[in-house]
Amino acid sequence: MFDLAFSNLHEILDMNGHGIYVWSVYALGISMIVISFSIAKKRIAGIQKKIKINNASS
Amino acid sequence: MISAFIHKFSSPKSYVRLTEKLYPFFIVLGVSLLTLGWIWGLLFAPQDAVQGNSYRIIFLHVPSVIFAELIYFFMAICALMHLVWRVKLAAYLIKAAAPIGAMITFLGLFSGSIWGIPTWGTWWQWDARITSTLILFIMYLGVITLHGSFSNLIKADRLMSILVIIGVINIPIIKKSVDWWSTLHQPASISISGGSSIDPSMLYPLLISIIGLGFTLISLGILSSRSYIFTREKNKKWIAEHV
Repeated sequence: MFDLAFSNLHEILDMNGHGIYVWSVYALGISMIVISFSIAKKRIAGIQKKIKINNASS
Repeated sequence: MISAFIHKFSSPKSYVRLTEKLYPFFIVLGVSLLTLGWIWGLLFAPQDAVQGNSYRIIFLHVPSVIFAELIYFFMAICALMHLVWRVKLAAYLIKAAAPIGAMITFLGLFSGSIWGIPTWGTWWQWDARITSTLILFIMYLGVITLHGSFSNLIKADRLMSILVIIGVINIPIIKKSVDWWSTLHQPASISISGGSSIDPSMLYPLLISIIGLGFTLISLGILSSRSYIFTREKNKKWIAEHV
């Protein structure tokens, strides 16, 4: 169950001709998740900054 | 009595405090399990006898479509809480969850389409499972658009909740579509009641990927909901003290 299914890096990337399908799906998936976290963190930082400015001015 | 209980445990303030404590555990657990599940599935699980290596898309596709449905179901429960007990946190959670649901549904559709090219010879088929999942994606976009089109946010919350409740009828249709209609899409490979048609060497990384993506999406949901709560409640005293 824990044997590597491929014998070298080229096989891992190529996956018998299916690598382009498999890796493109994972590349998009990881990118979308990372971008979503980045957007959410930036929004929190932005709104916290605004609230702090409002608190300081009031 | 139920109303008093719900309101006591569903204030935005207590939600923000609780999720702040839970977030570090959820994100570490989610990313670790997702990494483990995907590495196991992509590199160590054996090649499928029929589909070859293209089946490895399953470790992203199946978790994505499971959470595409679960997030909408969660939104429907929140919508019910908002409409019946006027829980404002429930509306905030719907607003935060809808873009995450749209993203994960898109990922489910995209991964399924790419998987279809080497397996079915086509990237799209207007069959029941794929069409009902596309409708789910459109429902998510509809919820986001509807809420964004009102300047009166209380009215927007209510109408958004009504739309979510109407759309929940699509969830059992997606679930049962492969049983009710003749379709290219294969029936469910895993079942909670047992009888999974998938070998353990593929099943274990798939289950780990599902749990990992679940915790990752909950973490993302926590961040998104906190940012929306801060936006909506920015003039409240507790926010000024909290930030």
